Amino acid sequence: MTRIPRVSRVLGMVAVAAAAVALTACVPSGDDGATPAAKDGGGLGTADKHVKITMMSNDAFAQAWQTQLVPEFNKKYPYIDVTIDSTPYDDLLAKGMLNGTDPDPQYDLITLDDPWTPQLANAGVLLDLKKSAAAWTEKGYDWADFNSAPLGASEWDGGQYGVPLRSNMLLMFYNKTLYQKAGLTEPTPELTWKQYLAEAPKLVQDTDGDGKTDSWAVGLTWQKGVLSPPVWQAVLNSNGGKLFTGDLKPSFDTKAGIAALQTQVDLLKYAPPGATAYNYTEPLDAFRQGKVATIFTWGSAYKSAAVDPAVTKLTPDEVGIQTMPAGSAGASTHRGIWSGSVFKNSKHPQAAWTFLQWMTDKEGEKWITNNLGSFPARKSTLASTPEQEWLAPVFTTLQSAYDVAAKGQMWRVRSVQSNAIQQILADETSAAVMGDTSSSDALKKASQQIDDLLTE
Amino acid sequence: MTATAERPTTRPVRPAEPAPTRRRRHSGHRWRIWSGVIVCILFLLPLVWMVITSFKLQRDIFTVPPTIFFDPTLSQYVAAWVNQGLGPKMLNTVIVALGAGLVSLVAGAMAGYALARLRIRGAATIGVLILASRGVPPIALAVPMFLVARTLGITDTHATLILAYCSFVIPYVMWLMRGFFLSLPKELEESAMLDGCSRMGAFFRIIVPISAPGLISTFIFSIILAWEELLFALVLTNRRATTVPVAIAGMVGDTEHGANWGALAAAGTLTVIPVVVLALVVQKWLIRGLADGATKG
Amino acid sequence: MTVALSKQRRGRSSVPARLKDIAGRWSFMIPATVVLVAVLAYPLLYTLQISFSHFDLSTFSPGSWVGLENYTKALGNASFQNSLVVTGVYLVLALPLQIVLGFAIAFLLNAEWRGRGVFRALFLIPMVVAPVVSGGIWKMLLDPLWGVLGWLGSLVGLPPVNWFGSPATAMISVVMIDTWRSVPFVVLIASAALLALPKDVFEAAQVDGANWWQTLWRVSLPMLAPIIAATFIVRWLGAVKMFDIILTTTNGGPGKATEVVNLYIYQQAFQMLRFSESSAMAVIVLVLTTILTLVFLWGSKKLEDRV
Repeated sequence: MTRIPRVSRVLGMVAVAAAAVALTACVPSGDDGATPAAKDGGGLGTADKHVKITMMSNDAFAQAWQTQLVPEFNKKYPYIDVTIDSTPYDDLLAKGMLNGTDPDPQYDLITLDDPWTPQLANAGVLLDLKKSAAAWTEKGYDWADFNSAPLGASEWDGGQYGVPLRSNMLLMFYNKTLYQKAGLTEPTPELTWKQYLAEAPKLVQDTDGDGKTDSWAVGLTWQKGVLSPPVWQAVLNSNGGKLFTGDLKPSFDTKAGIAALQTQVDLLKYAPPGATAYNYTEPLDAFRQGKVATIFTWGSAYKSAAVDPAVTKLTPDEVGIQTMPAGSAGASTHRGIWSGSVFKNSKHPQAAWTFLQWMTDKEGEKWITNNLGSFPARKSTLASTPEQEWLAPVFTTLQSAYDVAAKGQMWRVRSVQSNAIQQILADETSAAVMGDTSSSDALKKASQQIDDLLTE
Repeated sequence: MTATAERPTTRPVRPAEPAPTRRRRHSGHRWRIWSGVIVCILFLLPLVWMVITSFKLQRDIFTVPPTIFFDPTLSQYVAAWVNQGLGPKMLNTVIVALGAGLVSLVAGAMAGYALARLRIRGAATIGVLILASRGVPPIALAVPMFLVARTLGITDTHATLILAYCSFVIPYVMWLMRGFFLSLPKELEESAMLDGCSRMGAFFRIIVPISAPGLISTFIFSIILAWEELLFALVLTNRRATTVPVAIAGMVGDTEHGANWGALAAAGTLTVIPVVVLALVVQKWLIRGLADGATKG
Repeated sequence: MTVALSKQRRGRSSVPARLKDIAGRWSFMIPATVVLVAVLAYPLLYTLQISFSHFDLSTFSPGSWVGLENYTKALGNASFQNSLVVTGVYLVLALPLQIVLGFAIAFLLNAEWRGRGVFRALFLIPMVVAPVVSGGIWKMLLDPLWGVLGWLGSLVGLPPVNWFGSPATAMISVVMIDTWRSVPFVVLIASAALLALPKDVFEAAQVDGANWWQTLWRVSLPMLAPIIAATFIVRWLGAVKMFDIILTTTNGGPGKATEVVNLYIYQQAFQMLRFSESSAMAVIVLVLTTILTLVFLWGSKKLEDRV
């Protein structure tokens, strides 16, 4: 009774094993050897076999992209399933490193903030898009159409490791009504920092006549974090200064640097109470409520500051937008580009690059700008007329900001250690902002710590 | 005046006291009760506020003064469920909490029994070690656990997280159950063993059924500990095994959406309710277990 | 009966039977020992190993041996020193407050009346709320613009306080939130202890004419001393782990005012990927915590002996 089943069981196992061996022999090995391009891992998928790709993205836009962008993408590429996971900003770089070195990676794509590409590219975990993905790039993609400033954010050591997905520049919004109430003329792009500081006291005013000050001059990020040094840096850049020399030696511990940091500290005098804790949303909130006359913030905030009636009472007519005040070398701004990159160890690089490509080609960028309100990087998009009227002055400002930034290299330091350097700058400059140390001491300490870090 | 009109106390009869003291005792007594009630309410108010907020629309949340009358909505719960993917994360939390609770209960109760009733040499030292292990900073364990798990390729799995949680739940269970077993009468297992039962048999057949309340409440306490854990979950999970605390930490830190308070309140309420229900169900035993553990620790 | 039992045992005892007995007893410890060795002892030893080496990210394992270099760097690191100080400040503020408040509230809750059990049970609730959630709730409550507490303060004429905006108030907020979460635990233990106090000593004191203050100092406190010490140790062990609440409210800020040790090491390890340095720091913290715990245990034993 037990013999026959046992024999048939053994036979069954042998049959399964043979089938398995046969199947593995049938699957093409796919290694031609000669091509420098990455393997395409299933290409763009078929109706029966979808390709699944995942992206780790900053939590700010992951949701909007997943719910609005991906369905639009699927209209053109229905067999690529894209999942976008939101990751907290502070963890993104580390998780990217870990995923890139993981033998069994879970992500194909990542969004990288402005200073992060050097570290990941240097570690060899990112795909060089111009070289390795050339075979999958459409003919009309036109790399030269990108403004150099946003594209440069994902360049490193001669390779192009990403494309700008969400371009942002630090800009100035101003409330025209409050300027009128203060009896001042509206700012223009030629406004200098000196003039701005001279006007600031007048913008601290009592607008409803009840004897209490209820409106102040300025809001920006003062709280310690990666967002606080850019304002100081913009002031420095506007006077022709640079954070680092060409060979990565700190060059901000100078009179100009100290004066620039002091400007950021001094601006606190004309800010609402509690401004030392201002991160990103707080000055925006204050601006929306008419509590501050100007804010220095990312251009992407314009929509929620002046356009979206669900969150603000202000309208585009009331809110002006322009580059930040000028120094001796011209207007100032600061680059903050979110780029998208493909992991080299991705199993579906073609599908991943196709997604990025779709987002950033001439049509895709226009669609995103008009539907999601994020900013384009292409000259052609900025020269076109946007669907929404309020975007028109924003486009002009953006184009000039890109040019200004490219001229003065107004971005965070480009180095494999940029994250660590940015942390040191954030720590020390925030100490000056909190009044714990003087601006000159803060910069001296920062300069020394960065020297130590770079010579380790 | 009021003193004699009070209902009789349930305490055993005491020698008659002079009237002034009794009056003072009763008015002081009432003051004590009311202060206790007020303090209790104050402590619960933040939670009540959270639950109320979870049913408000965004526009009703950001008002000064806070709105008391509003149109309730479930949209925040939907937002939390859909946008934050709370469903799978709750499932993960449940799986991991139950798993860690079970493993820790079995291992910890047996060990706690051994320390309480069996003459183990060095039981006192082990007791001190257990207590000291609760002072190990979790980050000291999280780093190597992460590195080992990654090398073995087992990050982002339920099993890894369950094992990680055992590192702090088992000592707790040992501590609690030891205190509980110490209070059991000594003769229980001895009669079973006289009948030829092995120690293990006596344990499972006699001690465990009698200790059911203590075991259940310790099990629930372990679940609560695992339910709320954040650090190991942050470190050891990625996409597949993320738990609710990680999701909530992500929601709070989301600076661009800044004030997603409604969804945060909804997520908070969802994750707090099961735990509160469980705790209230076993509250008598829980309180006794904690007290025993502390006083006999 | 026990005497008869042991006689019976002695009569049957031989080496294999005794070994079986010992094995039988120790077998109860096996599951816990196996798991704890795997997830407690082994990771600690691994941390130790990494702390003495230079961690290599490409192979994901400890690379070359560097001796005490990570330790000297850690001890000389200003940010690490700051995190130790911050943690110390937090503990010094939080622990005494929680113990005193806990016992005081326990005394209130112990008043004999019908609802005592109900309110004692309700008091359990803040204790079982996840620290992450409590951080989230209080972050909203303490918001300078929209927080309910700010509005309540304005009702009594207090100016709006930016709780998380200045170093001092940020630390106070953290202590406040932790106290809200942890005092119920102290209350429960204290309440059980208070109930267990012998009534006759209090009656004797009352007969002797002692007033409330004297009763507290000369009678209650000495009797409660061992419990207070035990509760203090349990709370200390919990407080040292402070992480969740700070991560969700201040994230170490403003500046580094609330950057406790656990947060700092976490950032160094998992955001900066500095595994060897953070391992050394973790070991330093472990040593400090263990020493202090042993000191407290010794002190508590001394108190017990005296009583």
